[in-house]
Amino acid sequence: MEFDDKVPIYYQIKTVIYDQIIAGQLAPGDKLPAVRQLAVSLTVNVNTVQRALREMIDEGVIISQRGKGNFVTDNADIVEQLKEKLINRYLKQFYDRLHRLKISNQQIIDEVTAYIERQGDLNDNNAES
Amino acid sequence: MTTTLKVEQLNYRRNLKKILTNVSLTLSGNKIVGLLGENGAGKTTLMRLIAGVAKNASGTISINDETDPATRKSLISYSNPLGGMASNKRISEIKAFYQQVYPDFDEQKYDQMISFLKLDETQRLSALSKGTREKFVISLTLARQTSVYLLDEPFSGIDSMSRKKIINSIIQWKPVDSLMIISDHYVSEIAPILDEIVVIKDNTVAVHKAADVIREESGQSIEDYYESLYGEADSND
Repeated sequence: MEFDDKVPIYYQIKTVIYDQIIAGQLAPGDKLPAVRQLAVSLTVNVNTVQRALREMIDEGVIISQRGKGNFVTDNADIVEQLKEKLINRYLKQFYDRLHRLKISNQQIIDEVTAYIERQGDLNDNNAES
Repeated sequence: MTTTLKVEQLNYRRNLKKILTNVSLTLSGNKIVGLLGENGAGKTTLMRLIAGVAKNASGTISINDETDPATRKSLISYSNPLGGMASNKRISEIKAFYQQVYPDFDEQKYDQMISFLKLDETQRLSALSKGTREKFVISLTLARQTSVYLLDEPFSGIDSMSRKKIINSIIQWKPVDSLMIISDHYVSEIAPILDEIVVIKDNTVAVHKAADVIREESGQSIEDYYESLYGEADSND
């Protein structure tokens, strides 16, 4: 796993795990790998994984069960909120950039629609080949 | 118990030349600390003093409050480049020697590491490539169960595949409550596994900071931050 060394590593670990939860690779109630195993697979320090886990536990997304390990919450509302938060964050970055270029809201919508259509074609082609 | 290394007012000269001046440093907990600095900055000297191999410095060094060099030696596993070993010795012979000398040598752990690193125990020291030799050194160093591990430039001049394997071994086999210090003059390759960095510059500790604090405060990579300490004016490359 390649990290961006300008961004705190614990934060990037959280992002990786949250992405997996939202994409469904980690399902509600799933057990996370052991701390050291996570550290090895991400090539990071055990302490950094622990810090990321602490924050995810504080945010309610990961549930720690003493002696059993760490689990993804089975509270669907929390996962849904997490998803909303991430969507909003990415939209904000995207919108702010285009807005700074003085592109109108209507044009942004049109461009996005056209872009998605092109992507759809691409995906269809890939699926056929 | 978590390990604490305390260095206070350390001064060291060699042939009237100042090597280290007023070095004070407290490292606590179960961390991995990067000891950075240019070639010749005094990183190896500091490691040798901590390990009790180099002597005659003024100031104090303690590990878990122990200052006696002999006691300190037993608490530290210091990577040894095996310069004192005859080059016709086999890996298995050198391992047997370590096992005899160090009562804290954990054979099971050693076996796990050499199988992970794919070392062939029948090979002679002289036949090992630089990367393989370093893998062997790391296996010997980590096989000891100690409070402190000192790795002196374990990555210099080795290929990236070996480097990755060594980094993985460190993550897997460093005991949880031990302190590890890794010296290097390239930081980017080890930055993701460091909790803290200590920079030695102008014979003393110029910086001691948590890696994620640097990223958070400056928005810089550890390497950029480290390079910014030198500026362009006094670059002597």
